[in-house]
Amino acid sequence: MSEQTGKQLSKEEKDARFEAELLPVLDPLYNFAYRLTLDEDDANDLVQETYLKAYRFFDYFEQGTNAKAWLFRILKNSFINEFRKKSKQPAKVDYSEVEGYYNSDDVEGEGGVATTTDMRTESVQDLIGDEVASALNALPVDFRTVIILCDLEGFTYEEMAKILDIPIGTVRSRLHRARNSLKEKLEKYAKSMGYNG
Amino acid sequence: MESKFTEAYQKISEDGHESECDKVARMLDLMIDGEASTEEQSYFNTHIEECIACFESHQKQKLLKGLVSGHLKRVIVPESLALSIKARIQVTV
Repeated sequence: MSEQTGKQLSKEEKDARFEAELLPVLDPLYNFAYRLTLDEDDANDLVQETYLKAYRFFDYFEQGTNAKAWLFRILKNSFINEFRKKSKQPAKVDYSEVEGYYNSDDVEGEGGVATTTDMRTESVQDLIGDEVASALNALPVDFRTVIILCDLEGFTYEEMAKILDIPIGTVRSRLHRARNSLKEKLEKYAKSMGYNG
Repeated sequence: MESKFTEAYQKISEDGHESECDKVARMLDLMIDGEASTEEQSYFNTHIEECIACFESHQKQKLLKGLVSGHLKRVIVPESLALSIKARIQVTV
């Protein structure tokens, strides 16, 4: 099915396919870039860089395969290679210690977040959105990444493993740890708002 | 007599084997992410029908995922970005 692989496309063909298959991913890609860099200008640069690379290597992209996952992978590699170095983010934490097979003892505790379901006004919805964003932004970038890929963009574990270049088992354990961290931050917030569960 | 719920929850391994609750807790993410196999789903669902603690953990995990997917605002892509990309491609090739 990969007849197109490595085949030299004419410039017109390439431009047309690029526009039809890759540009529609611009919105999720920009959102991912923004959540990684937490800066609009950096997100802009990162997305442009990603598309330039994608164009350069477009002859190797197999038509009909997952364009979104391919672009996300390029973007994530660009972020690691170029942006992370100059980013203001805290130094990378070595998660190998926490990525061992996890236990279940940290999923208990009455979560205050449950109480948010009965708040229905728009301003409260906005407030929740802001709070989720700031809790998420406070997570280390590796944790933030898996939550965005899974919960916001709906990638499968297998796609995430390919995008991040890690085994599926690591995707699972990282996601589990990331959710526990996020839960902890949101529960603190809920408690500060007077919800003690 | 202990309720069925408590009984299931307290089935903590004394011989080093994983308890049912431990097993179910490890399946939480698989379940909410739609990654569990049919067998895992049926094991999970049977367990949470009887175990209130695991049932609640499942509800909370679903809620957490819903907070991100349903409440996190998407940022708006700058209008000029697609044009900039196309323009840069034309000058670099």
